[in-house]
Order: sequence, then C-alpha cells, then structure tokens
Amino acid sequence: MSKIQIPLGPQHPALKEPENFMLVLDGEQIVDATVNLGYNHRGVEKAAENRNYIQDIYLIERICGICSHSHVSCYINAVEEIAKAEVPQRAKAIRTLVAELERVHSHLLWLGVAAFELGYDTLFMYTWRDREQVLDCLEMISGNRVHYGINTIGGVRRDITKEQAEEILKKIKFLHERTSYYVGVVTEEPTFLARTQNVGKLPKDVALELNAVGPTARASGVDIDVRRDEPYFIYDQLDFKVITHNTEDVFGRAVVRVLETIESYKMIEQILKNLPEGPISVKVPWKIGPGEAVFRYEAPRGEDIHYVKANGTEYPERVKVRAPTLANFQSIPYCLKNGYLADAIITIAAIDPCMSCTDRAVVYDYKTGKKEVFDWEGLRKYSIEFYKKKGVSFK
Amino acid sequence: MSDIIKEEELVKELKEKFGAVIENASITRKTRVWIDVNSDKALEVMRFLKTKGYYHLSTITGFDEGEKLGAIYHITDHKTLVNIKLRTSKTNPVLKSVLEVYPVATSYERELEDLFGIKIEGLPEGRNYPLPEGFPKGVHPLRKEVKLEELNKMLDEKCAKEE
Repeated sequence: MSKIQIPLGPQHPALKEPENFMLVLDGEQIVDATVNLGYNHRGVEKAAENRNYIQDIYLIERICGICSHSHVSCYINAVEEIAKAEVPQRAKAIRTLVAELERVHSHLLWLGVAAFELGYDTLFMYTWRDREQVLDCLEMISGNRVHYGINTIGGVRRDITKEQAEEILKKIKFLHERTSYYVGVVTEEPTFLARTQNVGKLPKDVALELNAVGPTARASGVDIDVRRDEPYFIYDQLDFKVITHNTEDVFGRAVVRVLETIESYKMIEQILKNLPEGPISVKVPWKIGPGEAVFRYEAPRGEDIHYVKANGTEYPERVKVRAPTLANFQSIPYCLKNGYLADAIITIAAIDPCMSCTDRAVVYDYKTGKKEVFDWEGLRKYSIEFYKKKGVSFK
Repeated sequence: MSDIIKEEELVKELKEKFGAVIENASITRKTRVWIDVNSDKALEVMRFLKTKGYYHLSTITGFDEGEKLGAIYHITDHKTLVNIKLRTSKTNPVLKSVLEVYPVATSYERELEDLFGIKIEGLPEGRNYPLPEGFPKGVHPLRKEVKLEELNKMLDEKCAKEE
C-alpha cells in the first residue's frame, strides 16, 4: 500500500487551537510527522516595546489565558532584577500561592482535556466541575478567574485576609480528596491505561537531546524543575517533591501531572499557614535600567523564559518570551512516529500544548483599519448580521 | 565565601581555552553568566559547553542595537544559565546555524530570520515562522527602524488590496 500524507489542522475538530501536523501514513501507522506553527502570531514582543513597564504587565498577562500568572511573574522578576527592587517576603509568598493555585487549575484542566480526547467524558466532567473550586479561590483573591492582575512591579496589588486564607484551605482540602480519587482513576482505570500506556514514547535520552521541559520531560525520567533547581519566590522555604516517572509515555505524563497537583496542595497549605507579615509592595521608579536580565520560571507546562533589556526609559528596549510549549513541540514528531493515527490526538494533547503562548501577540480590524470596541450586545448583533448575509435565517 | 564560585570557574576555563574569542565576560548574579563571543568561533564554544553538561538551549533572543544585529543564546545545565551574545553587521547580517550542536534550534533560528532578517547559514529551507505566509517580504518587524504605526498601516493596505 502506498503512503499517504494527511494534514491535521490548523482547523480540526479535535484540536483546540490552530496548529498543523503533516502526518505521513502507511495504513493506520504514522511513519513521519512534521509540525507547522505560526497561525496565531499577534506580535506581542513588538507591542511590548511600545508600551511602558506597567502596561506591559497587562499585555504579557494576556499572552495566555491559562498560565497568565506564569508569564507576568517571569517578566516581572526580570524587570525587578534590573531595577534592583527588594520585593517584600509577604508579596513573594502571595505570588507563590497564586502560582500554585494556577498550577492546580491548569493540571485539572489538562486532565479533563486528556480524558475528553480519549472519549472518557465522565472524567472530563468531574475534573472540570472540581476545577471551579480553585477558580473560585483565585477569583476571591484577585477578583478574576483567569487574568488575576495580582502582580505589580515591586510586589502584589492585593493582600490576603485571614478569612480568605481559611476559605482557600477549606477548598484545598476538598480538592485534595478529589485529586486522590483521580490518582486512582489514572493509575487503575482499564480504559485510561489501555489508551495511554506505551503511547507516544519519548525515551530519556531523546527527551534530553530535544530539550523537553516540564511534565513532558519529567515523565521521561528527566529530573528537572526550575522551582528546585533555581529557586525563586519562596520555593526554597517550601517542602515539596519533584515528581518524575519512568514509563516515558502518555500514561507517565498523566501520572506526573496528578501527583504534582497533590504536591501543589501541600505547598499551598504551607504558604497559608506561614504567611509572613509585612508590606505587600515597594515603590519602583517608572524609568528602569539600563540593564538586561533573563529569568526562568516553572510554568504548569514547563520552563518559561523571558529576557528583558532596559534602556533607562519607561519603555523596555526588548522583551523576549519563550513559552514551554514551543520547547516541547520539538519532541512531538518523535512521539508520533510509529504510533497509530487514532493515538495522534492524545499524543499531541499529552504535552498540554498552548498555542496562544507559543505564537504570541496584537489584534485589530484588518478590513477598514478602524479600531472598534464591541460590547456584548454589539458583538452579538454583528454576528447575527454576518450570518444573515451568508443566508442563515434567524427567526 | 563567594557564592558564585562555579560561575567564576566556568568563565576562567572559557577564557583559558578560547582566549580573545571570549569578550566582556560578566556574572550579573548567581547562576547568570554573560559572554560576548566572536561569531566565527561560536560553534566551538557551544560544543565545548555541551560537553560540560550545558545541553539545554532554552531559547535564542534576537536584538537590534542600531548598527549591529545580534542574538543571545541562552544555554543551561539547569543550574547555571550561560548567555552567549553574537553580533553581526546590519548591512549583511549572517550567523551560522547551531543545529549541529543544538538540534532544537530550528524554530528559534527561524524567528531570527523572520523577525530580524538575519540570514542563518546552514538552516534548511522551510515555511515561515512565526510570521504568517504572505507577510510582506523584506519586512522584519522587530528591527528598530520598523515603527508600529507604519507596520499596521502597511498590513491594513495589504489586506484591503486582497479583499
């Protein structure tokens, strides 16, 4: 039988975001795969050079809807290093708390997505229902479910009250119980095992050569974690384990993520029970530098790295972002090869890809060059008009 | 006792081995080493670092300094981050590909080509990344002479023409 090439994406029902995989098939088996990216480029890095440091916090937070705190923290740490700002301990603790809550929400989201890709919708519904608890915690602290806006240069913008801390501890206790149940599901449920074991193999030496990061690398036995290797915030004061696994497959990546979530609960408890007293921010001048700094941060998906160059004005000279997904995409063709077409989607989902992070950046109206702000009603009206023109009837 | 012994030793070792190829070595804080390297010898320095355990190329940052373009290679062993700066002229910007040492560099090097217009010698042909197909040829948005308003205007006009 001759080989055929099929495109998977950029628009495909099984993919959540625009990315393209060219798969070469021999029957059901994938013999070659290439990844094509860049369908989502928004020009964030250029935009960041044209905004001041404070405005950039909000721009960079919007690089990603899931690990928004990761990107801002990474950027802000680089800026504070150049400005030589001494961030108070309490601010660092609150940043760590939000970071771990974010990891919990991201990993629970991933578990749901992975279950959905396997056709295991019960687990998808369960995890997403429980994830609401951690989103409630984040909303209580920051006022927002996803873009928390908690960071500012020199500290954090909101303090945590005693009542909030107690409420979070209560919710975390519930989530800890639920996640313990998911550990059982992931490691024992026959459907889950059948679809994930020996799928998307990434041996340790290949993971090292392809510079995989985060849970993807740790599931291949690569013992790396920026939180331990290069501690930032208050991670050096926390007691936590770096979870690794040696099965080198999709199953391992699932196990690493659920066990990491449990570690996050332990960290959240430690932070809230020993929250240092004191101020939550220090003043930092608007004009920063000159100087340059690079910062590494363990986002839920792995190592996030930002480079900032300051020139002494209130605008940065250069901001560079490399999200973990771009690093992990290097290993996807290897994982797909020799696998089956039916496993392609879960293999791709197993690195927890996040395209908005990877492609980055600015949206404006191409057609007229006009910049228009829609409210909800306006947007709805526009979409109805749009479909009416296409011949769809609205009664 | 100084807490940057490992970093100082690395800089010393690099200077002894490569001499004048290494310039402006500095240690900005624990785990952060910055060196400027003559771009002709960069591959040798990287090959040496890889044998020392610096196997992880985190990313490559392009930059525009006005008269010169350049790139910073962020390389780490997960404990210490070595930032290698290479420079090239703006009139004929060329850098050698580091794919033979760091096979993951493909997308980072394509970013240099697309966003800064630095020609990467030895990088195989491929589609654009991260700029979309059909982006105006010869426009490299992260260069300093490209102003945001002009870029937006140009893209608007291009889209209007295609409509």
